[in-house]
Order: sequence, then structure tokens, then C-alpha cells
Amino acid sequence: MIMVKIEVFGTGCMKCKRLMKNVEKAVKELGIDAEIVKVDDIVEIMDRGVMLTPALAVDGEMKISGRVADVKELKEILGG
Amino acid sequence: MPSQAKPECTCGDTTAAAGGKRRIIFPCAGQANTGQLTNLAAIQLTEEGYGNIACVALLATGSEGLVANALKADEVVILDGCPMLCAKKIAEAQDIPVDQHIVVTGLGLEKGSSRDYTDDDIETVVSAVWEGEGRI
Repeated sequence: MIMVKIEVFGTGCMKCKRLMKNVEKAVKELGIDAEIVKVDDIVEIMDRGVMLTPALAVDGEMKISGRVADVKELKEILGG
Repeated sequence: MPSQAKPECTCGDTTAAAGGKRRIIFPCAGQANTGQLTNLAAIQLTEEGYGNIACVALLATGSEGLVANALKADEVVILDGCPMLCAKKIAEAQDIPVDQHIVVTGLGLEKGSSRDYTDDDIETVVSAVWEGEGRI
């Protein structure tokens, strides 16, 4: 199985924590092999071009910025 | 050296401009423990920037202003404590479409005579809403 790399960008605020929690639940429910990385370094977030947090990238591609996606949407992103 | 714009955190911002949705949250706020939990969860959700709590009792009176606000929202979230579904029935009576509906007893929390609750109980309801568990 190919491992998916999921990055959650945020500086530790509540919405970033909620997105991380939803990502973990979506990955668990899908049963996929995923590496979940929390990116909380402001310089790295800026370097990646993220202007609104929380944000989410899958295999390097930015999928969500500035909001918390719910589990259903995350499953669609990760499963599709 | 030109300064680089810093990323903006959307915490506390519930507007569509931030990529989020304008949500209105109606807790049943019933007298039992589960009803009280809906109120506490709705307050926490408001503080976390998920949406804005509104009064379901006022909605039941048919308040034109509140009905208009609910109809203008991107999403209406209803939190009911038990299967009586009072808050959902009140919204339906005002012809307000519901986007997410959570019933606290459906999350494994028991309705009882005690009004004791824990922070974990509130978290159970709050995280279910963030996860979109009651999305219709």
C-alpha cells in the first residue's frame, strides 16, 4: 500500500487542533496508510505559501486553507 | 529587504471571507443534563470560532429577526439533548433548513436526573460537531 503524506499547517490554535483531530479520524475510518505531519513552524508555513491557517496538504498539494474540513470532506479528499 | 506577509490564523473568524462558513448554532438548552450539555457545547463552539450560538426559545416565538438571521446563515446547526428533538422541531416549525443535527444521547451520553457533567462530556459533543457527525 502506498503511504500518503498529510501535512496540517497551523501554529497551534484551536482550529488547527480540530483539523488535526478530524484528519486522524478520517485516516482511521478509511484505514489508509498515512504519515500525518503537523507543521507549526511559522517560517516553514510561510515558505510553503500558506496565507490562511489551518491548512492541509496531501502529498505536497495544498487542499484546504483557512478552515476546518469535517471528517466526510477529508475522507473524500483522501479517498478520492 | 521587503518583508514577507505573515500567514493569518482564522481562529475566531466565522465569516465566509476567511474560507469558513457563517454558522448559527441552536442548542435545545433543555433542563436535563443532556440539554444543559448542548448549551455548554454551543458556547464552546462559539468560543472556538465554529459559529455563533443563538437562542432557540426566541426562535420558538417566531422572532422575525432571528428567523431572518438563520435563513441567511450558510449552515444551521441544531444540538438536541435527547430524542424529543425539541430544537429541531422548533427550527422546522419556522421553515429553517437544518444542515447539521446532533443528538447528545446518540453520542453515548445518557439522559438522567443528575446534572453532573465532565469536560469530556462537553468535548464529546463539541468534537462531534467539528467532525460533522450530524451533517444532513
